[in-house]
Amino acid sequence: MAERWRDEPWATDLWWSGKTTRRRVLGLGATAAGALGATLLVPPPWRAAFGQARPYKIGTMQPLSGPTAAGGKTALVGTQMAVERINRTGGVNGRPIELVIADYESKPDVGRRKAEKFVSEDRIDAHQGGFMSNVCLACMPVWEEHKIVNMIGVCLDTTITTTRCSRYTFRPFDYAPAQAVAFAPYLVNKLGKRWHIAYQDYAFGQSARDAYVAEIKRAGGEVVGGTGIPLGTADMTPFLSKISGNFDGLFGVFAAKDAVTVATQAYDLGLTKKYRWAGDGSIAESTNLPAIGSKIEGFIGQNRYLPVFEGPLNTSYHRRFFDEAVAALKKIDPTGPTPDRFVQSNFESMNFLKLGIQKSGFQGRQDSAKLIAALEGLEVKESDDFPQGDKSIRREDHQAFIRQFIFEMRGGKHRIIEVVPREKTVFPAACKFA
Amino acid sequence: MAIPFDQILIQTVNGLVNGMILALVASGLTLIFGIMDVVNFAHGDLVMLGAFVGATTIAATGSFWLAFLVAALVIAVFGAALQASTLRPLLGRDPLTTILATFGISLVLQKYALWQWGPSARKIQEPITGQFAMFYLEYPWYRVATAFFAGAIIGAFWLFLKYGRYGIWIRATMQDRIMASAMGIPVPLVHTAVFAIGAAMAAASGVLFGPLGGVTQTMGFDFTLRAFIVVVVGGMGNLGGSILAAIFISLLEAYASIIVSPSQAVIVSFMALILTLLFRPTGLFVPTPSSSGACWRCRRTS
Repeated sequence: MAERWRDEPWATDLWWSGKTTRRRVLGLGATAAGALGATLLVPPPWRAAFGQARPYKIGTMQPLSGPTAAGGKTALVGTQMAVERINRTGGVNGRPIELVIADYESKPDVGRRKAEKFVSEDRIDAHQGGFMSNVCLACMPVWEEHKIVNMIGVCLDTTITTTRCSRYTFRPFDYAPAQAVAFAPYLVNKLGKRWHIAYQDYAFGQSARDAYVAEIKRAGGEVVGGTGIPLGTADMTPFLSKISGNFDGLFGVFAAKDAVTVATQAYDLGLTKKYRWAGDGSIAESTNLPAIGSKIEGFIGQNRYLPVFEGPLNTSYHRRFFDEAVAALKKIDPTGPTPDRFVQSNFESMNFLKLGIQKSGFQGRQDSAKLIAALEGLEVKESDDFPQGDKSIRREDHQAFIRQFIFEMRGGKHRIIEVVPREKTVFPAACKFA
Repeated sequence: MAIPFDQILIQTVNGLVNGMILALVASGLTLIFGIMDVVNFAHGDLVMLGAFVGATTIAATGSFWLAFLVAALVIAVFGAALQASTLRPLLGRDPLTTILATFGISLVLQKYALWQWGPSARKIQEPITGQFAMFYLEYPWYRVATAFFAGAIIGAFWLFLKYGRYGIWIRATMQDRIMASAMGIPVPLVHTAVFAIGAAMAAASGVLFGPLGGVTQTMGFDFTLRAFIVVVVGGMGNLGGSILAAIFISLLEAYASIIVSPSQAVIVSFMALILTLLFRPTGLFVPTPSSSGACWRCRRTS
């Protein structure tokens, strides 16, 4: 005899059993529809300042759920800060910016679908954002097909502006080859000749690994081994416990949650004491530091942005950006972290788009060619729009070059030990636009 | 090809430590399935919630052990509420309904954690620091201690099931709900209590694992996937089988990672899963229906 759970008294005695009537469903549906309708009648915040001016619709895709949600949420703060500031100060060409936000769940296939929705349903004028390199790469053909300018906010994969470059995609911050050009001489000359690279085994980590292998060799050193660790690995001990041998330094390329895991577990296994411990600055991002604690002491990294007021970062522009970012981050994170490079690059990326729109008289998607022409070769100076410093977008591959900071972690804080000017980070262009 | 002895020993320790943590997670999962036939896709998120509650308690009190207890209690109460409000009405329906419901709960819990605790990872400071030399590595004492803590919790729970009055109620309900009900055991209450115990075990493993890699809202995913493999290989609803399977799978992966990359070594656990489903669908560590005459699940559903 099959069991009939629903017939048992304790299963039928529950308060909601048998009470879901058609009348009740219709009533609740009507109430929900009324509430939704009421929210549609409330004007968006920019309406009071701009009257009937048609907004620029800028789409931004970020991973707001899934393994990289933490990074996506902070990256979005940078974009939102820039948009709020633009709208507060009169908009662009007298028009406000309406930000359309999409969550791609840390998945390339979802990213691609959301990009297509942006194009066909939301009818965006341009896109700014992106976080995971594999998602940026998956979406680039969509922007190209529909002739939409794509201003990247975080993605670091080298091929975005080299072998897979697109006329419609711009990267207004650094990339792995430029970082390696800036950092490799310091690694080889000050820390050691022989290196082992541990990296996040997907587009970002693999790009950085290739760039550092080439530049460490060029600087007179050698990479003797590599360990790729899949994205989102909760326990990296099986990987890290295989790292042994005769080399001077362990170089890490990890971001977000994986950076916390590798920093913690490499310390626990004694690797950071046995070898010099260096790597991409994303390991020691300010948002990771509370979780890593003192285990990051002595780490030497390279980053385009640091939340400190030392050397060239001790400017009024940076202080204003920092204060505003801390207040904005506090709204999404009760621990109140300081801004990281994801906030900075999204903030500046949106400001690049603003300048391009101003300069080109861009009205909408049909003017993408004019916007591209305005952005190519665009030089910007250190300012409230660009608190990180001067930068320019190279015409040949739409890649920017910016100054880099080499830092050491001491007392739980970043200490700048060398500033590499942007002229010394230049890497030859390797892009042929279709 | 000669396999270095140091690698064998290091990977054996890794496998045993990971196996014990996994066994703790899988015990809760298999218990819930065994008694309610609920495939709980939100189990990993209970691990995550426990870790967050633990991290918050540590930040407020500085005591790991207090955090461990508070997390287990809070998540047990939460688990009981979740079972009574969401899963109890679905009992006896198509298994797909509970799968979808728990999957939905998983998404809600992840979003809640992101909203409540923010995107930054949290830290749980380990109560035992220091390392010991193991060939070319310094191995942390805390990792070894987690295996013992997990073993102690599982052992205590086994004793409770074997000798405790309420443990006997749970075993009776697992064997035959209708007969247990006829004997005066409050079956709905047992269901809720078992879900609460499973949730508490998940929270305990979250707090134990927290110091090893930080606490984030997605940390439960890895646990869920691996725990499901263990539960299937060990035999759905079989507590002892799941514990043995957790150690077996973890050691299998650890030894495979000596020869291939650890990311490729994961394949062996999926192979074990497929082979189990093909040749011993009741699980590796339970008697086959033919050898025992009749399985308890067959009696329950016929």
